[in-house]
Amino acid sequence: MSDVLKVSGLGRTFGSGVRPLVAVEDVSFTLAEGETLGVVGESGCGKSTLARMILKLLPATTGRIEIAGQDVTDLEESRMRPLRRQIQAVFQDPVSSLNPRMRVRDIVAEPMRAAGVEADARAGRVDEMLSIVGMPADAGERYPHAFSGGQRQRIAIARALASNPRIVVCDEATSALDVSVQAQVLNLLRDLRARFGLSMLFISHNLGAVRHVGDRVAVMYLGRIVELGSEADIFERPAHPYTQALIAAVPEPTADSVAPPPLAGEIPSARDRPTGCHFHPRCPKAQARCRVEDAMLAERRANHLVRCHFPN
Amino acid sequence: MNPAAAAPAQGLDWRRLTRRLARQRNVVIGGTIVAFVVAVALLAPLLTPHSPEETDLFNTWAVPGSPNLLGTDKLGRDILSRLIAGAQTSLLVAGAVLAITLAVGTTLGMLAGYVGGRTDSVLMRIVDIMLAFPEVVIAILVASVMGTGTLTVVVSLALVWWPGITRLTRSFVLVIREELYIDAAIVAGTSTAMIFWRHLLPNIAAPLLVRASVGVGFIIMAEATLSFLGLGIQEPQASWGGMIRDGLPALRTDPYLALFGSLALGTTIIGFNLLGDGLRDALDPKLQGR
Repeated sequence: MSDVLKVSGLGRTFGSGVRPLVAVEDVSFTLAEGETLGVVGESGCGKSTLARMILKLLPATTGRIEIAGQDVTDLEESRMRPLRRQIQAVFQDPVSSLNPRMRVRDIVAEPMRAAGVEADARAGRVDEMLSIVGMPADAGERYPHAFSGGQRQRIAIARALASNPRIVVCDEATSALDVSVQAQVLNLLRDLRARFGLSMLFISHNLGAVRHVGDRVAVMYLGRIVELGSEADIFERPAHPYTQALIAAVPEPTADSVAPPPLAGEIPSARDRPTGCHFHPRCPKAQARCRVEDAMLAERRANHLVRCHFPN
Repeated sequence: MNPAAAAPAQGLDWRRLTRRLARQRNVVIGGTIVAFVVAVALLAPLLTPHSPEETDLFNTWAVPGSPNLLGTDKLGRDILSRLIAGAQTSLLVAGAVLAITLAVGTTLGMLAGYVGGRTDSVLMRIVDIMLAFPEVVIAILVASVMGTGTLTVVVSLALVWWPGITRLTRSFVLVIREELYIDAAIVAGTSTAMIFWRHLLPNIAAPLLVRASVGVGFIIMAEATLSFLGLGIQEPQASWGGMIRDGLPALRTDPYLALFGSLALGTTIIGFNLLGDGLRDALDPKLQGR
């Protein structure tokens, strides 16, 4: 399998001066063809900044982004445009992500129009996409306000897939939806991924959603990846205390589950990150070394990376 | 999968909009006045009972009656005919100024708001400088270069108006730029020009329309002001401002010229302002009972 997306040492700092805001730091991963990488973390951990950098909506401060083997890090927008159809996105808020003054047909057709697909071919493809995502046949002629949140997200998915991309970035794509609708949209994304052989970057704060769709999972904390591994590694053999705490915090339906170790405190400010390992103020296993020495992302087992001095 | 099966939804939207507009009293009253003035201006050559420019020195300062329904001015010209011709002048000037300022203002405003950075700073500083000049000062400047006349009025009012439209457009664009559909359009590979045309413009058109409608009232007043001061429309062409100016010295003995001129001017301005206010209320999504 070849890598369709490769990110190395990616970082983004906002502002300058004494206390710049480090939103993302030293993020590296690869995304293989047909693979889904889930990215989890609390709000403010840099997930969306990461997504925006990969989508070239925000320039990176450091690092490199390669799409299908081509370095796009410093590519001008005019030269990026031909590559755009390879990497599409589904955003969090389906109200804001659809132009209220455009018909659904034109919304779904937008990536094809930009790629220079002719009107006749566009029309056929729009109908095909709308039916694939489960929208009624007359949806194309209507405006977004006529549809519910879940339906709007289906329209957004149809738009993302219309140009036949290789990569789809889902930035909290199900977070704004009702729980019952979330499951439908998640299943739709899974079906479509299989059907079109898509690679997906699935960003969410929802562990359940990430587990549902992710082949591999990256856990982010304060702008960095603290653990990266297969879905089984992360959810069944979590090695980083933060991952363990996150998973333990998910309510278990069984009675015999042990009470989770409480994760004390709030996320520190990205403007004023702790010394040493950034997680040490909240870490139940923190030791003297953690307070002074920063932890590196190290391979614990094959393809299972952990950023911790004392992983278990 | 047959697109022909789909019903056009556009008609429904229009019907809803019409209903919402009809509920707004201001729109109805203002719209009626505006429609009346526009109709009069369009049909001016058919409606004028006398030639608006023909003098009759044996019939000066006639009181309203027959054959001059609203009387005559100091040169014996029919006031009603001059009011009708003046409506044409006022709307022509307002239309020209609006067309110029909307074209220039929205383009520059979208550029400033969307592109940002240095483009934004430079444009906004120019806007600030332009806004610092009162319209009369600009008009005097323009008149000293170009001489007085209709063109001078249009040019000076356009110079006065584009900065406001630019700044207004920019403020709308700053809000819309944060919408995810702009990000989605960029991700889709849509060019900046198409983002302006298909995403920004349709979403700022409604508030700009409101501004334009209120603006017409102000532009007509500004035109009257300039003509009143003698910088604008020149005799013998009829303009309301010029008529008020001519009527003022005779206000005590023969008030009709100034009176009817002011009435026409005031009613028209109120009409456009009511229409603008009503449109704003009708188009404000927060006031919509969806």
